[in-house]
Amino acid sequence: MNWNEFQRVFSDCELDGNKIIIKSKLHDVISFVINNYTYNILKEIIAVDTADKGIELIYHLYSKDDEEDLFISIVVQDEAESITDIFESAKADENEIYDMFGIKFEGNEDLKRLYMPEDWKGFPLRKDYVQDDTRLAWNDNNEA
Amino acid sequence: MTTTRLKLNLGPQHPSTHGVLRLLLELEGEKIISCEPDIGYLHRGMEKMAEKMTYIQYLPLVDRIDYLAGFFYSELLCRIVEQALCIELPDKVRAIRVMLLEMNRISSHLLWIGAFLMDLGAVSPFFYAFREREMILRYFEKLTGQRMMYNYFVFGGVRKDIDYLEDVEYIVSYLPQKLDEYEKIITENPIFLRRTEGKGILEPDTAYSFAITGANLRASGIDDDYRKSDYLYKGFDFKPIVLDNKDSWARYKARVLEIRESLNIISQALDYLKKADKLEQRLINPINLKLPQGDYSAEIEAPRGLACCFVRSDGQEKPYRLKWRTGSYYSVNLLRELLKGEYLNDAIAIAGSLDIILPEVDK
Repeated sequence: MNWNEFQRVFSDCELDGNKIIIKSKLHDVISFVINNYTYNILKEIIAVDTADKGIELIYHLYSKDDEEDLFISIVVQDEAESITDIFESAKADENEIYDMFGIKFEGNEDLKRLYMPEDWKGFPLRKDYVQDDTRLAWNDNNEA
Repeated sequence: MTTTRLKLNLGPQHPSTHGVLRLLLELEGEKIISCEPDIGYLHRGMEKMAEKMTYIQYLPLVDRIDYLAGFFYSELLCRIVEQALCIELPDKVRAIRVMLLEMNRISSHLLWIGAFLMDLGAVSPFFYAFREREMILRYFEKLTGQRMMYNYFVFGGVRKDIDYLEDVEYIVSYLPQKLDEYEKIITENPIFLRRTEGKGILEPDTAYSFAITGANLRASGIDDDYRKSDYLYKGFDFKPIVLDNKDSWARYKARVLEIRESLNIISQALDYLKKADKLEQRLINPINLKLPQGDYSAEIEAPRGLACCFVRSDGQEKPYRLKWRTGSYYSVNLLRELLKGEYLNDAIAIAGSLDIILPEVDK
């Protein structure tokens, strides 16, 4: 991709290898990249709990024509913009991240507990998660 | 005339859901209005467990992500470590890995053919496919001591030198004639054609939007095989299988042709291995193994689509965060779209044709 052209439109960003680090306007950045370059697949969305700054979301895009991967990274707190109108597959990824990290995606109405039971408290992959659910055998002593 | 809509639970214990998947279908008569997949019955917390374990402790566990294609996931984790420590694999290790991966792909596809045909009501192909798969599993058992959870790839190479090559030679010479037999029974069978031809059409644009990869994507006419850019397969001559029919039948045919292509790759690896010297490899000492700080990602063309592994290391013995991307997870999501407007009796056939395996979905 043409990095200079990209930076002219979105000034508030850095390039690190094939990873673009942005601070805001996630939806605009992704749709700009899709419309102007050949990226056509969202392979996955990776979430990492950075513990101090918030949750980092990494969007892994791929261009079949150029055989090129691109990572777009953004740090969010508890809410993020949904990109389900651009990629249908984002529904699955966003739901998984909601289940494991508790991030709410604005514009995605279908978020629900996926792997965890519906009444489960807390989000397991967060670094501050404390595992004290009494339904698990090893937590028997917490509650009579 | 009034029509009432009916909500129907398909699963989670339906014999043809290949694991524990529940589909909540909304029906009008026999037509499916909407489909809502419910997953999570097999969730084992693979990603959470990784954060509590060192890399070598985690390695035997990753075979269980997809128990039908265990080699692919151990390969991914090994690849992450090798990439982080800048280890280059010797040619012989590459050939061994390619041969075993492709044999694993064949065994996985064979199981799928058997199970798919059973979904459609044909029982005998299931036994034929399992008979041939058994040969491959027997070989794996001889070599690694395990039929399904191999734990054979280690950081920097393989656990021990390859052996019993005459068994592989026999499999390579024996399978093509058996595949011809299957094709005679199945491919042009009118009942099979009626249940699969033109059913579950997957358009290329939809496939891209739903991030579908692997044989499902190639059956929709897109030439996208990640093995082509894979350094492990460098020097191997093969061509991706691409079909234009886009339906369930194409997804079946693509997998049959893929088995033949895999046999071709295996025989190339076999020719190399028969002439190769004794194995010389530099294994990484797993005790106190620490990856340098940073992000690592690896990907491989698994039988059920693209599989990726992402690791963020903070320089400690345990990964800070480890994420898996599995092909089936996206195929399950695709059911929402693909089953819309189809009839209930086709639902099983279409869901079966996508080759969904639930432990891989739930991780």
